[in-house]
Amino acid sequence: MPRETPALLPPFSRPDSRVAIRRVPNYQSDIAAVLYETLREFDLPVRGKVVLLKPNLITLDPLGITNTNPAVIAAARESFLRLGASEVFIGDGSGIDRDSQAILESMRLREFTRPLAKIFVDLNVDDVERLRFRTRASRLKELYFPKILLRADFVVSMPKLKTHHWAGVTLSLKNMFGAVPGACYGWPKNVLHWAGIDPAILDINAAVRPDFAIVDGIVGMEGNGPIQGSLKPAGVLILGDDPVAVDSTSVRVMGLLPEKVKHLAQAATLLGHIEPQKIRQLGESITDVRNPFTVLHEFRHLRQDPNSPLWNQNCL
Amino acid sequence: MDREFLACLRGLQNVDGGWGFNAGCDSRIEPTAWALIALHEFSSPGAVDEPLERGLRFLTAAQREDGSWGAAAGQSEGCWVTSLACWALLAHPQFSAKLLSGLRWLNDDRPRDSGFLWRMARKLVDRSRINAQSASFSGWSWTPHTASWVEPTCYAMIVLHAKAAASLSNLPRRIGLAHGMLYDRMCPGGGWNCGNPRVYGVAGQPQVGPTVWALIALHETADRRANRESLDWLESIQDTIVSPESLALAHIGLGLYGRQNSKLAERLQSSHDSSALPWSVQAITWAALAFSENPGWLNVVSSKPA
Repeated sequence: MPRETPALLPPFSRPDSRVAIRRVPNYQSDIAAVLYETLREFDLPVRGKVVLLKPNLITLDPLGITNTNPAVIAAARESFLRLGASEVFIGDGSGIDRDSQAILESMRLREFTRPLAKIFVDLNVDDVERLRFRTRASRLKELYFPKILLRADFVVSMPKLKTHHWAGVTLSLKNMFGAVPGACYGWPKNVLHWAGIDPAILDINAAVRPDFAIVDGIVGMEGNGPIQGSLKPAGVLILGDDPVAVDSTSVRVMGLLPEKVKHLAQAATLLGHIEPQKIRQLGESITDVRNPFTVLHEFRHLRQDPNSPLWNQNCL
Repeated sequence: MDREFLACLRGLQNVDGGWGFNAGCDSRIEPTAWALIALHEFSSPGAVDEPLERGLRFLTAAQREDGSWGAAAGQSEGCWVTSLACWALLAHPQFSAKLLSGLRWLNDDRPRDSGFLWRMARKLVDRSRINAQSASFSGWSWTPHTASWVEPTCYAMIVLHAKAAASLSNLPRRIGLAHGMLYDRMCPGGGWNCGNPRVYGVAGQPQVGPTVWALIALHETADRRANRESLDWLESIQDTIVSPESLALAHIGLGLYGRQNSKLAERLQSSHDSSALPWSVQAITWAALAFSENPGWLNVVSSKPA
């Protein structure tokens, strides 16, 4: 029998969300220290718990511009262990390349954290369990999910700060597509595209909502993301306890409007906060780190101000 | 070397007769089918191979009433793994009825992009800025009611080459459309990825797995320039391949076209000790098959099509 997803609270009954922006100029910085100090401020319930880090490991990335950077993944793992987590696993399931080992080797993850054999889980081929959805945003009524994702006590979505040629942006919510097992749905997980990318993002996150999000915005990607865009140094880590609020803040940092990103607008009705007054900002302010990202012509409506000179700039 | 891989494979068989993707995982159709293909490849004629027999029992028991197989237990519909299950049954005439039932399901399974209305819509709406794929072709999808993609199309084309499929109606037309689709989806300059050769004007990056499966599926047109370009691409990147799955597949693909490279085999052997992750059942299986001197499992494409 498929398992039922947890009941959802409407956002109006949620406490304010907390999102921290930290400046990190490059991957040679002491990311572990920055992350550990920031995570401590959140006082997260991870002591003695099993944590699953879900980075975005989509394709071979020898230049380090597509996937969540290994230095950030390793720093997050170290930080959660220091915070008392009993185990910290790293897991993802690429939607376009089924050779996970080739992806890991291309980004040299094992040089940053080891032993990979004991801590990395290929979510594409892990054992699965069927989960019936309570939401009906898409036509999907249920999906299989990896058991490790369903059994972890604390799930952290760790995307890279990127634009996306179908969804506008790909951040902590869209990143959860990687939790849908390719061994059940293929490469790409085309069933999600036919169900509608934006509503499918909502259904998946309503079913397996990440407890925390850490966006690697030290170097992002703009334009024709998620794999064919251009490198965009942004020099920030954005993290928080509400993936909707983290993504909204990230989108504002990218110089875009979160209310115009379909899946974010939908998620704000059910999963978290998008309004700035409901998001308690820690660390840097958005205006101090804002760094407009180029978007494809199809997404020019995401730009912040149609009357500003930026409206026609930074569009491909 | 193949003996070591086979011993390893036998050791990973679950009590129910199937194999999971990795040690200790639940049995699934995809790794089970590959394990059975490898065990049969190295079995002695006439000898009873107990793991092979148990594996076949698991596989045949998992077949759905409509002839298909699902990727995970309890899945409400069959999917692309049906091709792999059929491939594993090709060598076992005692299951010819089950094989035919699977092949029939495959022949009847239509991707969503093969429908008349969808194709008309694609022709009317100019999507050339986004991608330049032809709506005239179609192949097979990963899961029902979705679009054609390279890998499931290759698997279906390979297994539908079998003599057992010869009686299926309308098969030549379907194979023809799939043939066209694969060449249409080839990346500029050769090689294949999942099926997006160009998005927003940017050429897609080929990948080893899809390229090898496409080269196997298109072996009957081995002399075409596209095949040669794809082999050239595969050869050009072979020194950069590091994972056991891709090393094994590259060795298989190049070998089928007579372009074997002993260095690949050596690197495949040595990668077992230096691997960052434990080898998956598929990696072990493909590695074993890569060392097969006379690859009978590929006879289905190297003999004349049905």
